[in-house]
Amino acid sequence: MAERVFAAKLQGVGFEDVWVGGHRPSGIDEASHYPLFTEEVIELMRRTLPRERHDHVATGVVVKARKPRTRGRTKRTT
Amino acid sequence: MAKDLMFQNEIKEAVRDAYAGISTGAGETVARWLYSDEELAEVPAGAVAWALGVGNPVRYALLQPGEDVLDVGSGGGIDSILAARRVGPQGSVIGLDILEEMCERGRRHATEAGVNGWTQFRRGEMEDIPLPDGSIDVVISNGVMNLSARKSRALAEIYRVLRPGGRVSMADLTVEGELPPEIANDQSAWAG
Ligand SMILES: C[S@@+](CC[C@H](N)C(=O)[O-])C[C@H]1O[C@@H](n2cnc3c(N)ncnc32)[C@H](O)[C@@H]1O
Repeated sequence: MAERVFAAKLQGVGFEDVWVGGHRPSGIDEASHYPLFTEEVIELMRRTLPRERHDHVATGVVVKARKPRTRGRTKRTT
Repeated sequence: MAKDLMFQNEIKEAVRDAYAGISTGAGETVARWLYSDEELAEVPAGAVAWALGVGNPVRYALLQPGEDVLDVGSGGGIDSILAARRVGPQGSVIGLDILEEMCERGRRHATEAGVNGWTQFRRGEMEDIPLPDGSIDVVISNGVMNLSARKSRALAEIYRVLRPGGRVSMADLTVEGELPPEIANDQSAWAG
């Protein structure tokens, strides 16, 4: 999910004061430590992603937001 | 629509099966990138070994003593335990995870950490949180929101259980631009 999509989804359900920070690049070497990434998918990443993206495939972020103090609008989602 | 729901259920099952199948977390190397030495000293070694997150949502949550916290997708419990230390016994922490075995790990680690008196782990799904409206001050989550095929639904559930003025602090990975389709469609890449 892209950062702006994440923020928009939070606003979409009624959150306010959305803040995104703590940006941290995450690359293939880091991914290889996670047990969910099989050797095959790590290999696939190395093969299909351009070299300059290997150290920055995704970005770790922290997203903060607040529920309004007064009753905000809540969208029903399915 | 029915097809969408089937697809969403397939994704949920694939994610659940993927996490049910692992026998370890990302381990201490990754935990050292995400947490300070002081933070790691606050949690038992088992919780560090089982860390699977991608950031440090507790550090940004500015938790206060007495607050009620929900950790969505709590895994082995590292963030639940850090949160429990900050809110203290006047507060409470609920770790929610789709897998009972993760809840078991969380309970074991919370007991080792001595915070089990005000920390509990419940099996449940972020898209249907088994808590009443307006019962939580702060929701944290770490590496979990991306796993949902129904992200807006999960966020609406988080909104529902928060008290007015309640906060969220969520760590996750974002991707700008396209990934090659072989990677984007790979089940282990989605779950990881
Ligand atoms: C990447 S791990 C993160 C665990 C923990 N937050 C941490 O930082 O170590 C994702 C966790 O979310 C859980 N999970 C996956 N889908 C879920 C859902 N729909 N509802 C609740 N938990 C879910 C998994 O069982 C797993 O424990």
